[in-house]
Amino acid sequence: MTTRYSRFLAAFFCLFLGGLLAWHVLLPDRDRSGVENRTLAQFPKFSWENLKDGSFTKGVEDYFADQFPLRDQWTGLKARTEQLLGKREFNRVYLCGDTLIAKVEPPRDGLEEKNLSYVSRLAERTEVPVYLGLIPSAAEIWRDRLPKGAESWDQAAFIARAAELEGAESIDFLTALSGRAGEDIFYRTDHHWTTLGAYYGYAALMEALGRGEEVPEPEAVKAWDLPVSNGFQGTLYSQSGIHWLEPDSIEFWVKESGLTVTSWRDGTPKEARLYEYDYLGEKDKYSAFLGGNQPLCVIRNPEGTGKLLVIRDSYADSLAPFLAQHFEEVHLLDPRYYRYAASGYAAENGIDAIAVVYSVPNFIADRNLVLLTQ
Amino acid sequence: MVFSSLTFLFGYLPLTLALYFITPLRRRNFVLLLASLFFYGWGEPVYVGIMFLSIFIDYTHGLLVEKFRDRDRLARWFVGQSVVFNLLLLGFFKYWDFLAANLSLLPGVSLPELGLPLPLGISFFTFQTMSYTIDVYRRDAPVQRNPVDFGAYVTLFPQLIAGPIVKYKTVAAELARRTVTSQDFAGGACRFTAGLAKKVLLANAAGALWESCLSSQSAGTLTAAGGWTGLLAFGFQIYFDFSGYSDMAIGLGRILGFRFGENFDHPYLSLSVGEFWRRWHMSLTSWFREYLYFPLGGSRKGKARTLRNLLIVWLCTGFWHGASWNFILWGLYFGLWLILERFAFRDLLTRTPVWVKRAYTLAVVFVGWGIFAMEDLGVCGRYLAVCFGGGPLWSALDGYRLRSWAVILALLALGSTTLAVDLWEKLPERGRRVLAPVLMVLGLVLSTAYLVDGSYNPFLYFRF
Repeated sequence: MTTRYSRFLAAFFCLFLGGLLAWHVLLPDRDRSGVENRTLAQFPKFSWENLKDGSFTKGVEDYFADQFPLRDQWTGLKARTEQLLGKREFNRVYLCGDTLIAKVEPPRDGLEEKNLSYVSRLAERTEVPVYLGLIPSAAEIWRDRLPKGAESWDQAAFIARAAELEGAESIDFLTALSGRAGEDIFYRTDHHWTTLGAYYGYAALMEALGRGEEVPEPEAVKAWDLPVSNGFQGTLYSQSGIHWLEPDSIEFWVKESGLTVTSWRDGTPKEARLYEYDYLGEKDKYSAFLGGNQPLCVIRNPEGTGKLLVIRDSYADSLAPFLAQHFEEVHLLDPRYYRYAASGYAAENGIDAIAVVYSVPNFIADRNLVLLTQ
Repeated sequence: MVFSSLTFLFGYLPLTLALYFITPLRRRNFVLLLASLFFYGWGEPVYVGIMFLSIFIDYTHGLLVEKFRDRDRLARWFVGQSVVFNLLLLGFFKYWDFLAANLSLLPGVSLPELGLPLPLGISFFTFQTMSYTIDVYRRDAPVQRNPVDFGAYVTLFPQLIAGPIVKYKTVAAELARRTVTSQDFAGGACRFTAGLAKKVLLANAAGALWESCLSSQSAGTLTAAGGWTGLLAFGFQIYFDFSGYSDMAIGLGRILGFRFGENFDHPYLSLSVGEFWRRWHMSLTSWFREYLYFPLGGSRKGKARTLRNLLIVWLCTGFWHGASWNFILWGLYFGLWLILERFAFRDLLTRTPVWVKRAYTLAVVFVGWGIFAMEDLGVCGRYLAVCFGGGPLWSALDGYRLRSWAVILALLALGSTTLAVDLWEKLPERGRRVLAPVLMVLGLVLSTAYLVDGSYNPFLYFRF
């Protein structure tokens, strides 16, 4: 190597490292990342205590990684490289043609059985009939689309086990969705079911409650034909780093008129809506359904009959608008945020039926369901 | 801090290099000492104290050995003190819990397990500093009177936490005076980038494959094909991880003006287990040879003593790798093969065709990785039983894994040979000049992308 050439190489190396450092320093810090749907780490406060227990340096590392320039582009580049190398799995998400499907890992610590037993205990504690509906995720319904030989935990077997559960009637989402596997019942870039998928789920739930004949045909429910957004890039888009797929569409089906929606986000009741249009302008468009995660939400319909309590995860956000057409009151309670006894809530509010409605991946990993036994 | 982290690459490294090169030559060891202490204290700030203690003890003992050189018994006494101190340090932090747990199994014995985090690189720097006092005593190295220079040697961040084990005598001259030419800097930068790419792009990919096979074992769906895929993957992971780290250390050393010895020489091309250990983690093998095997008498005192010495050395080598029974077993496993090669296979091996020798060596080494990788001997036994036919042979999942990792496995296999180096040397000068910066950008950019994605970045040799 000549001196001039080695100077060039050395400068090149320094420029890359130093250049990105300078960029990092000059780039204003962001509060949150839309793509990742989370708040980003900020520079930690220094104290001798923090330094001693290692939390300061850990904080600096988190800050450095979270505020790194072009974060989303680097992730995208990695996904592209992996694809070139022949990988079909990207951060636990399978790329199946034009669809992303989240891999379901086996549950840990026997949590799935524990959670089933908590549902049983809830049924023992209350006079109200309890229904359990486990929603299989795309990895089960679209198993034939997964890469050949690829693993995903057997949700069907678990749902079959849950159907035998003592004390709770089962809602058969598996059959309802399997029969419609050819339709767009899950988003291609998000882990949730689409409005169409939620409609089939709603039909199955009504069937289980013995009110199946009330469910109208899809055409009769659909108040609008056009999607409200064609630019939905969901959680799997973010998790996988695969940014080159066509975005999803979001549809709102039912009419809101005549309904009152009350949301308890911070302990006080606030008026809310079935569809929060503001979210359609953001990355996290699924939150347009009921405005996203919240401890408790009540939808009242003076023309409906019966009071239903749904203990649920986010799949119920797009399910609730359908249910609201039939029930006088639909109470949606999310045990991740709502910390009081469900049986007590049911008694106080004159509930006629309790439905535990969870997607399987959430049900087998959720550590809050123990609250059902209170 | 580890080299393959964003904080190191885009924070610590450019700032340290800038500070180092604007400092006048005679103050550079001081900068190096401070920067290295900062590097060391990053993960466990409290443990910087261990560094100071280690510097103090070995520095003073070096001086004491030198001072009482004429009174051999006293000099030996001080060498002994320093060795005992280093071994106690290592023993306390690395082996206490293991010893306590096992001794407590004896009736009437109850020792508490402390669960202290292992100080970074303690296995490496205690071995380095031990070599210093011994070498001073043996007159292999001059005594170091400057505490800053000595401190810079003990804490030198490039090889502090994962080797190579740099003996004092090999860098004594460079500690006092060194120059960095632009060729050194450029060569070091290339070497560092190559090591980074080996670690981040190849070793981590192999590691994900190994994890996948291991999870099949715990789910009870492991097949023979999956078992061997896993062993292969782990063997590649540990080689690319560790040799990549050594490359980064050697490259950084060169940038700072030090020339460390090589640590790996394409070990998977070896034709015998003995040769494998002359090409794998060379700095450790040579350390044990020089400071344990030879002092025990080596192979010059008859068959029985040689046998004993080999077993002792390999027991220690195994145990050095971790405080757990599987590492002891792993060391003895290699000791056994080396004894067999020395006393039973010697003639047989000379008559065997090359490809058989290669296959034999790889089989021994990769089965050994199984023992190394699984600390729970029950899991390890069941895993290896499946590999040798105690379960199904093939499943659809194996096909999926092999299809997904085919390109990477091919890269790993080719990367274990001398192919890349040979091709590089065949290129005309102009081709190399064009390709070098392209490869450097590719290595840096892709490694950065994988680090930012950061889904999978455990460091195997981080906690040694």
